[in-house]
Amino acid sequence: MGKIFLRHLSLLVLTLSVLSLFSFSLAFLFPGDPLTNLTGVRAENQEAYSHLAASYHINGSLFSQYWHYLGQLFVGNWGISFSSGLPLAEEINRSLAASIELSAYALVFAFIIGLPLGFVAGLKHHKIIDYSLLSASVIGYSIPVFWLALILILIFSLQLGWFPLSGRIGLLFDIPYKSGFILLDILLSDLPNKSDAFYNALRHLVLPTLSIAIVTSTIVLRTSRRSVIEVMNSDYIQAAYARGLSSRQVLLKHGVKNALIPILPLLVMQFTTLLTNAMIVETIFSWPGIGNALIQAIYQRDFPAIRAGMLAVSVLVLTFIISMDLMIRLIDPIRRRPENATA
Amino acid sequence: MPRLKLYQEEFYPSPLQNTWKEFTENHAAVASLYCVLFFIILVIFGPLLAPFDPLQQHIDSLLVPPTWDSNGNILYLFGTDGLGRDMLSRIIYGCRMTFGISLLLVVLSLFIGVALGAIAGMSSGLRSSFLNHLLDSLMAIPTLLIAIIIIAILGTGLVNSMWAISLALIPQFVHQTRDLVRNKLKKEYVLAAQLDGASKSHIFFNSILPNMGEMLVVQATLAMSTAILDISALGFLNLGAQAPSPELGAMLSEGLDVAYLAPWNIALPGAAIFLMMVSINLVGDGLRSALRYRLLR
Repeated sequence: MGKIFLRHLSLLVLTLSVLSLFSFSLAFLFPGDPLTNLTGVRAENQEAYSHLAASYHINGSLFSQYWHYLGQLFVGNWGISFSSGLPLAEEINRSLAASIELSAYALVFAFIIGLPLGFVAGLKHHKIIDYSLLSASVIGYSIPVFWLALILILIFSLQLGWFPLSGRIGLLFDIPYKSGFILLDILLSDLPNKSDAFYNALRHLVLPTLSIAIVTSTIVLRTSRRSVIEVMNSDYIQAAYARGLSSRQVLLKHGVKNALIPILPLLVMQFTTLLTNAMIVETIFSWPGIGNALIQAIYQRDFPAIRAGMLAVSVLVLTFIISMDLMIRLIDPIRRRPENATA
Repeated sequence: MPRLKLYQEEFYPSPLQNTWKEFTENHAAVASLYCVLFFIILVIFGPLLAPFDPLQQHIDSLLVPPTWDSNGNILYLFGTDGLGRDMLSRIIYGCRMTFGISLLLVVLSLFIGVALGAIAGMSSGLRSSFLNHLLDSLMAIPTLLIAIIIIAILGTGLVNSMWAISLALIPQFVHQTRDLVRNKLKKEYVLAAQLDGASKSHIFFNSILPNMGEMLVVQATLAMSTAILDISALGFLNLGAQAPSPELGAMLSEGLDVAYLAPWNIALPGAAIFLMMVSINLVGDGLRSALRYRLLR
């Protein structure tokens, strides 16, 4: 047990240090002078430049620069955005929270839609309902998410006018920033028109969540279908039938639990797809998330923001994936076995 | 086509024939294989098929609806866009760019990825395990994010986005190849070759590579759909192909300006991407299930 934990921890530390090294070297990889890229101050402005050079240790060895960079990262001094002039740590925290909120709702939706349908399709394997669900899922995961979002906008906000076009909440509401999750913030706030604000934010959430969730739920459907088919064909299910259990009992006692375990690791690998889709959808709906921020940063050549945003997203993804992997190893006896056997 | 049976002889199909037989049982997969072939024909013969030049502006006919609309014009089958460019020609050229470039990128990253993966798989010890774990976790970073970072370094543009996407695709192939090589190294036929004194490269090229071909094709279809999606997404976000060029994603983002007046400007390029994705995914699915079931019958 401790060995598995240690192995994952060392893997995490190793990859994170590689990432930090890469993000450190980005300043040199971007076109132009490294210090100008980081601060926006040009070398002609000698006084400010030499002052900044001292504070970034730019004249020291590469190693001391990197060490300094790491220290600044941990202190929370991630640099200043060119476009807004605000500290990046705060900006990125805000936009990450917005992204996580959007993706989390989409993920929950995807599970609510995808899992039951996947189980139905898997139990009716090679029947008409299986084929129709499978073809629907092929359509769902082939659809480019930006096209889907545009079509949803065309139909539901331009033609029918049911949902707002973009943004997170109507401009009339001013929600004080607390946790960064808009629905939670509204509930925590003491606005007079709380329920209106909540309803408004929900209406803003519908279309972006739906466009991500449709694509993600088809992936959930396909993975759970495959897993159910494999489990229902296994020997212990036959044995359970042979003992005289009804098919309902077999499914509930033996099927569901065993089918769910292999779904989890496959879905963890899909986390990146979810995040990519969320990043694209954010730019379409002007959702103030990290994807939108990164793409705006590229348009404006805001190098400190690109660097910090890229580091934040990849650290988030890696930490999530490695910790989920650890969790799966701990709860799933089948995946734990090779480790125990190879002593 | 059923085999002519004149004599009572046993027929043992090769694994490849088995796979093909299993694949043709799946009609949707065969239909989408024809669809992929159609796109390949478009890539090769696109300029001969397109009625107009994709950049030619017909100033007297702006925003003409498609032919099936009552205001449509048979001259412009899919209508025209805000600058009077013929949509059909633009879509044909767009398929040519999006599909052709993706195909090129997949083949390129397939070769590089297989080479690196073979090296990683055939070597052993601390160095390879270090490399493998690192690779595993770096693979978790979304390809689009990698592409965005590379574009931030190189600058926007179609060629830069091509570099970015092929670099982002390589890790999948390395990973897959390495796992396959590891699996095959345990087989008895490899052991037999080793006992015969075959060198490592001989084992790889004669015993392992022929056995991974099919799995690599499946992986390539997956990479192909990722590549199409990424290249059009980058075009759509104005990070890849730039505005006047007929790339499907860039066309979508151009159509956004007139989306309300002329919805076909975003419906049709998107539908073209969608059709590509569906056919590639169905071919991939069909191949995968054919490989899975071919030995069961």
